[in-house]
Amino acid sequence: MQDATEFASPNEPLKLVLYVAGQTPKSLAAIANLQRICDENEPGKYAVEVIDLKKAPQLAREHNIVAIPTLVRQLPTPIRKIIGDLSDREKVLVHLKVGEE
Amino acid sequence: MAIAVSAYDNLSMDELRRRLEEAEDTLRAIREGEVDALVVRNPRREDEVFTLEGGTSYHSFMEAMDLGAAAFDDSNRLLYANKALRELLHLPDDTIDASHIAAVLDEETLVTVRGLIEAAKQTKQTAEIAVVVDSREMQLLVSAAPLQLGVTRGLAVTFTDITAKVRAASAEASERAAHSIIASANEAVVVCDTNGVITHANAAVSAIYNGNPVGEVFSDIIPLKLTDSTGLLQTEDIVSLAVSGTSVQGIEAVASQAPRVKDVLLSAAPLRVGSDKVSGCVITMVDLSQRKAAEKQQLLLMGELDHRVKNTLALVMSICKRTASTEETVQGFQAAFTGRIQALAATHNLLADRSWSSISIAEIVSAELDPFVSSAQARLKVEGIEAKVLPRAAIALGLVIHELATNAVKYGALSNETGRVQVKVTRNEGEAWLGIEWVESGGPVVHPPSKRGFGQTVITRSLQYTSNGGADLEYPPEGLRCRIRIPEEDLVAA
Repeated sequence: MQDATEFASPNEPLKLVLYVAGQTPKSLAAIANLQRICDENEPGKYAVEVIDLKKAPQLAREHNIVAIPTLVRQLPTPIRKIIGDLSDREKVLVHLKVGEE
Repeated sequence: MAIAVSAYDNLSMDELRRRLEEAEDTLRAIREGEVDALVVRNPRREDEVFTLEGGTSYHSFMEAMDLGAAAFDDSNRLLYANKALRELLHLPDDTIDASHIAAVLDEETLVTVRGLIEAAKQTKQTAEIAVVVDSREMQLLVSAAPLQLGVTRGLAVTFTDITAKVRAASAEASERAAHSIIASANEAVVVCDTNGVITHANAAVSAIYNGNPVGEVFSDIIPLKLTDSTGLLQTEDIVSLAVSGTSVQGIEAVASQAPRVKDVLLSAAPLRVGSDKVSGCVITMVDLSQRKAAEKQQLLLMGELDHRVKNTLALVMSICKRTASTEETVQGFQAAFTGRIQALAATHNLLADRSWSSISIAEIVSAELDPFVSSAQARLKVEGIEAKVLPRAAIALGLVIHELATNAVKYGALSNETGRVQVKVTRNEGEAWLGIEWVESGGPVVHPPSKRGFGQTVITRSLQYTSNGGADLEYPPEGLRCRIRIPEEDLVAA
């Protein structure tokens, strides 16, 4: 895990972590929705890591994850969390941009 | 949100605000159903993922269960029924709701289950119900307990098929009852399997077989000879008949090797437990000893009666013939013959009263003398004749006393107003008889008879059926004396 206080340069991709729980419908939907959002926006802008908490539940503590699925914008700080299956594309994009500038 | 309280002290207002927003967002997302899994901390302080929907969490757990399980939400809506329950209650595989389960239950059971579910919202409840599914009756144990389904409360209800267990318990209870019935029976009861091997036997069997009969072949240890049968039918045939489904009733048999009860009334019936299939046979043996003994006694009595009737008829014919040869007139014959038959009848009556057992000499003497001296007891002295005799001696003695009395009334001590008769018993050491002395006195002077009459023959010969019995007559002038000998073999100890 990288230090949360580190600052990203404008060229660096947004570092996103998607927490899912195995094959639950909302987990699968969140993965698919995020994939679409990333593809539709500037390719290479996002570096996405998907963590399956079913397999490694202890990783939930890193970002105090309570509800699944949750997308964490790890970089740039401050950390932002988006809870749900990411079906509301606009909301996702708004959250990802907040505090970016 | 696992954040220690102390940690807030070091956070900026912005950070606190952000975290509050995040917490609110999390709650909103859960409430609005935007998430289908939660991370929860278990008692060991490890994080676990708890899936709320999608069939991977409690669904898969329920599917793995052998027992029928259903989950209801707080409003008693059926959320899920596992495969075991669908199969148990023959429910459809999809689009299943609470009404499908309710349809399987009858009115009373439905009330029970609804009450159970309502009460289970507080604490775990259990009840037994009976349901009929596709005409198969089942006993189910229904257990309901509160269940936390992610963020909402619900109920977990399990249906366990305990039909076999209930039936086993009921079978065990009926077997116990059967055992006690067999054990309580007075008759010997033996239960055999289809091979004729004894599986149960009650205590009464010990009168027929000395030892533990269980595990033995019935026909081997209790060989029975079937009376009234040609010998074609043997004990093993009775068992075979019963095992093949034919009842055999009331056959008299003799258990020749039995320690106590030898005569039995045998019955055998097929044993059907539960189904129609014969699983063995039940054999009862009723003790016939007493009945047999009574039958023997009856036969004996009939034989005895026959014998006595023949003897009596022979005696009557003899009395008739001899009376006729000694009496010169018809009137004389009639009087003498009637008197003798009455004497015979008097003793008969006494014996009949005593069921032809033994009677006392005093009773015989009294019965025979009654017609002559009832109004003159003072002239008759009877001493020490309490001894009892068997019927044979009683009849003979009755006739003898009758002849002596008749003679005394006609010619001897009872023919006048002053004569006396003394009857006393004498028993001397070494004598094989009991002596009865008949001594007359005060009558007319006695002369020995010029010819031997029938009365004299009766007196001297009646008791001569054995060498110890008989009677001797003496004719001293002061009065007739007769010494009667009752053979000791006909005496009965008082």
